[in-house]
Amino acid sequence: MALPLILIIEDEATLRRFLAPTLLNQGYQVIQASTAAEGISMARSYNPDLVLLDLGLPDQDGLKVLEEIRSWSRRPVIILSARNQERVKVQALDLGADDYLAKPFGASELLARIRVALRHSVQSLRPEPIFEHGGLRVDLEKREVAVNGNSVHLTALEYKLLEALVQRAGKVATHAQLLADVWGPGAEGQTHYLRIYMAQLRNKLEANPTRPRYFLTEAGVGYRLNVEE
Amino acid sequence: MPSSPSNETSHILVALGSEARTLRLVHAAFRMAREQGRPWIAVHVEVLGWETAEEADQARVWLQEAHELGAEVVWIKSSSVVNGLSVVVQKWRASTLVMGRSRGSGPWDRLEHAKSQELLRRTHDLRIVVLPLDVSTATDAAPRTWSDALSILAASGVLLIVCGIFAAALSVVGGYPAIPGVFAIGVGFILHRWGWRFSLPATIESLLIYAYYFDQPRGVLTIEDWPKFLYFSGTLLVVQVLVDLVGKLRQETRAGRRREAEMVLLMLLGRALARCSTEQEVAEVLVQRLQSLFQAKAWLLIPAERDTWTCLPESTDMPVCPPPSVLLPEFGQTTVREDPLEPLWKDGCYFVALASTRGTEGLLQLKLSENARFSQASWGSLQAFTVQGALALERVRWVETAHAAHLENETERMRSSLLSAVSHDLRTPLAAIQGAASSLLLPSDSLPTSARRDMLAMIHDESEHLAQLLSNLLDLTRLESGTIRARKEWQPLDEVVGAALRRTEASGKGMEVRVSIPEDLPFVPLDEALAEQLLINLLVNARRYAPESPVDLRAWGSDNTLELEVADRGPGIPEAFRERVFDKFFRVPGSVGEGGVGIGLAICDAIAKAHGGRIWAEERSGGGAAFRISLPLDGKPPALSDYDIPIQE
Repeated sequence: MALPLILIIEDEATLRRFLAPTLLNQGYQVIQASTAAEGISMARSYNPDLVLLDLGLPDQDGLKVLEEIRSWSRRPVIILSARNQERVKVQALDLGADDYLAKPFGASELLARIRVALRHSVQSLRPEPIFEHGGLRVDLEKREVAVNGNSVHLTALEYKLLEALVQRAGKVATHAQLLADVWGPGAEGQTHYLRIYMAQLRNKLEANPTRPRYFLTEAGVGYRLNVEE
Repeated sequence: MPSSPSNETSHILVALGSEARTLRLVHAAFRMAREQGRPWIAVHVEVLGWETAEEADQARVWLQEAHELGAEVVWIKSSSVVNGLSVVVQKWRASTLVMGRSRGSGPWDRLEHAKSQELLRRTHDLRIVVLPLDVSTATDAAPRTWSDALSILAASGVLLIVCGIFAAALSVVGGYPAIPGVFAIGVGFILHRWGWRFSLPATIESLLIYAYYFDQPRGVLTIEDWPKFLYFSGTLLVVQVLVDLVGKLRQETRAGRRREAEMVLLMLLGRALARCSTEQEVAEVLVQRLQSLFQAKAWLLIPAERDTWTCLPESTDMPVCPPPSVLLPEFGQTTVREDPLEPLWKDGCYFVALASTRGTEGLLQLKLSENARFSQASWGSLQAFTVQGALALERVRWVETAHAAHLENETERMRSSLLSAVSHDLRTPLAAIQGAASSLLLPSDSLPTSARRDMLAMIHDESEHLAQLLSNLLDLTRLESGTIRARKEWQPLDEVVGAALRRTEASGKGMEVRVSIPEDLPFVPLDEALAEQLLINLLVNARRYAPESPVDLRAWGSDNTLELEVADRGPGIPEAFRERVFDKFFRVPGSVGEGGVGIGLAICDAIAKAHGGRIWAEERSGGGAAFRISLPLDGKPPALSDYDIPIQE
């Protein structure tokens, strides 16, 4: 199988100088663009396996680039954004971005996100029926959940929420996405509803709800089912 | 008068005295100059040896007023008024001389007449305009036509004949002494009613009636009759002088009372305005007083931002008029001065500009009751009112300006303390990063692997530290500028605490945090991201000052509030600084913690306030610092049953 091709769309040369060698060193192929226009045309001509997209581009809003790419490609896009921009992050995720990284970020964080995103794009062809991480085991075919070998009983809605998270394992899921997955369209904005079920899920599956191992909170954005140690 | 082409542009000269009524002369000359588009000169002739210091001072005041109305001002010393004026007329080649004239036709008028004749003789092409200066009274207000005069003469003749008949009847009873008294009453009445012009002929008529009717033998004055005749005519004259005097006194008393009332009103207005501290209050006072004084509706238009005008007091019944930006040029702040003789009249409203040293402070719009116009006197007092109003507005605005300047100073002080704090705290980690990186870049390979790793770790840690610092600074700026609003959502506190713990633990250097949250704590309304930041700042703070001991995070619900406590076993905060630690860039003097800029707690304070709550520091029993947060629990947590969301199962 060919090495995955990653397109970096980022106007800061310093960041590209850090990103490109790090990724090359990990065995990815890398192409780079410094403007939105260049990025869109490279995405069209090379059809990369994954795009790292900076939201603050000089010539165009990064969200526009995302929309453009999403109009013809389902390949994973990871957003690079400044911290504190929760609303923009949520916007990008709801527009179809797969994940985000808040600047400044470390190499290990970056590589973990890329791994997850690439795995998902392959998985979507043949979804894995069993999710396992730490002591948590979810069998999607048999609809069975177990923690440290002990089977746990979940209500229908709790299971639905867990299923939605497992399908996005490792990636961030926004409040709106989870609400739509579990409660269907029309439930946007009822985040407290989601929170109640999340709290129940944690109570049943986490050893210590204030120190969650599996169900991580991304403040102001949503939740992430942890796949890293 | 021969009209030479120079007449159109030659000067109008106005001779000013020192009396109070001179002001009207100034205004009249100003108006004439403006109507004819000619320059004008105000001149005062100081007659050597005749002028007192008070008179000179008063004359200077009138000259000053003329100067403000655009006149050139001349003060000349001369041996006589005529000499002085002719010098000035010749020097400026003036073609018109405006002078004031007292009322009546006494010997003084003849003197002034002689003066002007003398002037005319000495100067060519001079036109002399003599203006009556006296405040008009009932006796000779309007110029009379010949038919008026004739009818008055006839009326006074009839009156005197009636007096004669009455006197004849009385003299039968009382003899001679009653006669002059009766005529004196008649002539006195005529004087009072129609003035000197008619009382003097009436006197002569009375004398004739007396001479031909009462004198014996009629029409012939014998030697014996002279004392009686003199007594008769003397009585008439004395009575007339007395009536005139009394009339003048009464007029002056009236004028004095009016002035006094005006002074009191002005004083009251000044006192009311002095208490005003905002434009609104000034406007209210002005409008209310003007309404009661002139029975007029009044509005104050005040310049607001970007060429718009605010109307005070706000009302809907304000007549539609041209906007102030259109009206203002007509006041001629730049070109022509406002007419001092009457206010600007537009679309049924009067407009008066409130002018101060800084320009136009505002515009007063007055609507009198149907068809009413301002009289000369009321316009004078309106002007006095507007001057007071303009001063008050100017004062209020200066106060505002001073306040703004104070704020700006404060901001400037903040900025400089920010600069010094930031430059120090940014430079320290940067120096470490730069030093480590440059030594790693050295060509020699002599650096042992462990040292290389150590330096890389330092670069990593210090850059993280820098990032933290910058994001804190950004947070603070955004919180303070109000661009961040707390978007509260009901949520379990565990969730926020969990996220905060994960972020603090992710940033390296382990720290033991003992969390105690009651299981049955209901959902709380929080802005997730802000509350997380608040907890992170407190935890980082605790780790900085008490790195060795565990930190306790407790939460409990109270009456309508959520109470949070983050407590450490560090050195604690001296009581004197427990409030100031929440100030920006404040650090407890001599504190040991490294790398703090003094904004973490300021951010916590801002976040707590954004939630409608508060944060404070306490001494922890047993040693250490305890930060307490109290957030309001307003509203009710939503229950599941409140929402009817279709469940697809």
